[in-house]
Amino acid sequence: MAQSSAISIENVSFRYRDRQELAIRDISFQMMPGELLLLAGASGCGKTTLIRCINGLIPRSYKGEITGRILLHDQETTDFSLARISQIVGTVLQDPERQILGTRVMNEVAFGLENLALSRPEIIKRIDSSLEYLGILQLRNRETFNLSGGEKQKVALAGVLAMRPSILLLDEPLASLDPASAQETLRLVRQLTDQGMTVLMVEHRVEDVFNIHPDRVIFMEEGEIRYLGALDGLSKAVNYHEIKLPAPLIVERAAADPPPHPVQFQPADGKPQPLVQFEDVSFGYETHTTVLKGISLSINRGDVIAVLGANGAGKTTMVKHAIGLLKPKSGRVLVEGKDTRHISVAQVAKTLGYVFQSPSHMLFAPTVYEELAFGPTNLRHDPEEIRKEVQEAIDIVHLTGREKDPPLALSFGQQKRVSIAAILAMRSRILVMDEPTAGQDYRNYMEFMDAILQLPNFEAILFITHDIDLAVIYANRVLLVDNGQVVADGKPEEVLSNFDLLSATRLVPTSLLKLNLQRVEATGHFQRAEALAHI
Amino acid sequence: MLVTWRYRIRKSIIQWFDPRAWLIFYACFLACTLLFWDVRYLAVFAFIALVILIGSGIRVSEMRRPLMFIAVFGIFYSALTFLTGRGGMEVYESEHLITRLQANFTIFGWQPAINVTLEKAFYSLGIFLRVSSLASMTILIPYSLNPAQYGIIFRGLGMSDKIAYAMDLTMRFIPTFGRDFMMTMDAQRARGYELENLRGGLIAQVRKMAPLIVPVTIHAIIGSEDIIDAMDLRAFGVGPRVWLEQLHYKKRDYVLIALGILLFFTCGGLSMFGFGKFWVPI
Repeated sequence: MAQSSAISIENVSFRYRDRQELAIRDISFQMMPGELLLLAGASGCGKTTLIRCINGLIPRSYKGEITGRILLHDQETTDFSLARISQIVGTVLQDPERQILGTRVMNEVAFGLENLALSRPEIIKRIDSSLEYLGILQLRNRETFNLSGGEKQKVALAGVLAMRPSILLLDEPLASLDPASAQETLRLVRQLTDQGMTVLMVEHRVEDVFNIHPDRVIFMEEGEIRYLGALDGLSKAVNYHEIKLPAPLIVERAAADPPPHPVQFQPADGKPQPLVQFEDVSFGYETHTTVLKGISLSINRGDVIAVLGANGAGKTTMVKHAIGLLKPKSGRVLVEGKDTRHISVAQVAKTLGYVFQSPSHMLFAPTVYEELAFGPTNLRHDPEEIRKEVQEAIDIVHLTGREKDPPLALSFGQQKRVSIAAILAMRSRILVMDEPTAGQDYRNYMEFMDAILQLPNFEAILFITHDIDLAVIYANRVLLVDNGQVVADGKPEEVLSNFDLLSATRLVPTSLLKLNLQRVEATGHFQRAEALAHI
Repeated sequence: MLVTWRYRIRKSIIQWFDPRAWLIFYACFLACTLLFWDVRYLAVFAFIALVILIGSGIRVSEMRRPLMFIAVFGIFYSALTFLTGRGGMEVYESEHLITRLQANFTIFGWQPAINVTLEKAFYSLGIFLRVSSLASMTILIPYSLNPAQYGIIFRGLGMSDKIAYAMDLTMRFIPTFGRDFMMTMDAQRARGYELENLRGGLIAQVRKMAPLIVPVTIHAIIGSEDIIDAMDLRAFGVGPRVWLEQLHYKKRDYVLIALGILLFFTCGGLSMFGFGKFWVPI
């Protein structure tokens, strides 16, 4: 007798109640028990909608029009309650910070079990076995808010596993993790599937997931499945600009295409002296803790600096010192020769413009024009000058004609461009970005970074990232931060070739880095995979 | 960090009791304090509050700020009452003049003066005793009650699962909300926004707060969708739930609850029979 499927999706289409168009269209596939399926595709292609159809949130929490059949272990789920589905399908959402509901780890893992009204001894047994399985029993009594990103991810997973589902849906589980934590999560996923769990994993970081050998891949586009099959076929079926494939596969494919247009940072005119100097800077949020330890460095005209390091290494704290949001406990930070202790954050903003990770943390104005005028108005620029600055910034980020649109109604990518334009309009000389690619799919973020590097107004660019490939492709200088110290500062070709150091800072060499290192003698410097295909 | 929990396990009178018993006692204490205007009665309540404050095991350094706030607020409010005499007219009808203080300058021909009366002085003292005993009893709660237990405490006090869990969720997400707020604050400061420079009337000031309020609100709304999904996906609200943590009343908790209820009825009775009304020593 043939083995029954864990998930069977038959011609499923769905339209949200307030939308005209279908979010997913005529989706059909099956998953066998113990199968690991990777679901890839650009933002807005319908991945999350598909996940919601399987875990029952559609149509129970998200109303709309659904057609087709969804079967879990050969049983149609239409009449199942969410409680019943939740014992078959476990879902880990993208942001563990929002998924974790308990103040303490133990309460968090117990949440679903309490709702199912299990007995207390059974709940405790399951809490301990889930935490032990994931190797985090020591976190049992910790407060959830103070956990690291990787720990939060595991605690969220423990809360789901405690309900003993046979199917696991993971929605971009690697998004907020540093490379080493991402690898740990992937190893766990592999372990779970090897023990019989059926796992459907949505992920942009396709290359990383390739390392744990998913059984099959689905690639979605505009609500439809464009590819469903083995890994080997994916690179042929899908444009290599759309998902991040391993570098050797891109090189293979790109050889037939014309070479990419080189993207080079052309710094704006400026003085030769350092723009920012850190002199033996130390800092701690509380008296007895030290977050930064004796940091000395300078940011010069022409620098494109990638700041790499694990979560909690001190990257953001260091950058906040450069923009004057934090003041050193000892040592000093000079911005254009002036000590940040003696100037306001607004004065520093004339030199350094800081783009935060999420645009929704800063966008507030009713129109794009007013949003962009906010910074220069605070800096007391002349009204006529502000008009020119705003218009120029809008043109540079290709948002001409959207001046009167509300920024919060734009797409995520456009919001990100508004947040950059807001800094451009202030005429800051250095662009500082925290995780510039977060929340964007591969094609979008590569186009975004290409556009940033070609902006004419900045003298230097600095970005914090977990993505080594961003440093490989775009940076001309890498700062490795570990435990509050800059442990390496130099050209990417020098810093990133030291794999021991990378491992110590929880970074994992990528296929692009390895390929570049093999060819660096011939190329002289690191390049993107498409360019390597033509050397 | 904007929000950090003050709760610690301490050698504390409050933590010696079950949190539910303490909250019942606290509610009775609050109600009783509000029944009286007689400073002799209020002095007793202030003394009880002081003893509990000292016995709370909280170091002065930990609660310097709230204590300062209570002191400044209490003194300011009492002084304002004393200077203006407002509010007191509801509890006394005639006044006994002690002295009249007159300024030796004039403002546009008006010479400021206040009549220092026995009633005004005792009314202000009464206000001060009330405010300080209520505030110091209240301020102890976040230092003494475990935020992880808020849900089970309120469930134990008879609220529904949903309302009780809402208390838990509030405690869980206040630090997240605080972190989002700080992030927005940093993002706007990096764009030259200075909260210290807010000027204009109240409405103008609120409008100028928009760069903080709008992103924080939008972020909270976006985040709440995930929170609701996370709750739905783990079967919240499908039926009566079990609470993993259990609280057990001990003998002393029953004694405390009985004491609170006795206090409430005694004070209620005294108040009904006209005791504890406004009093001045004449």
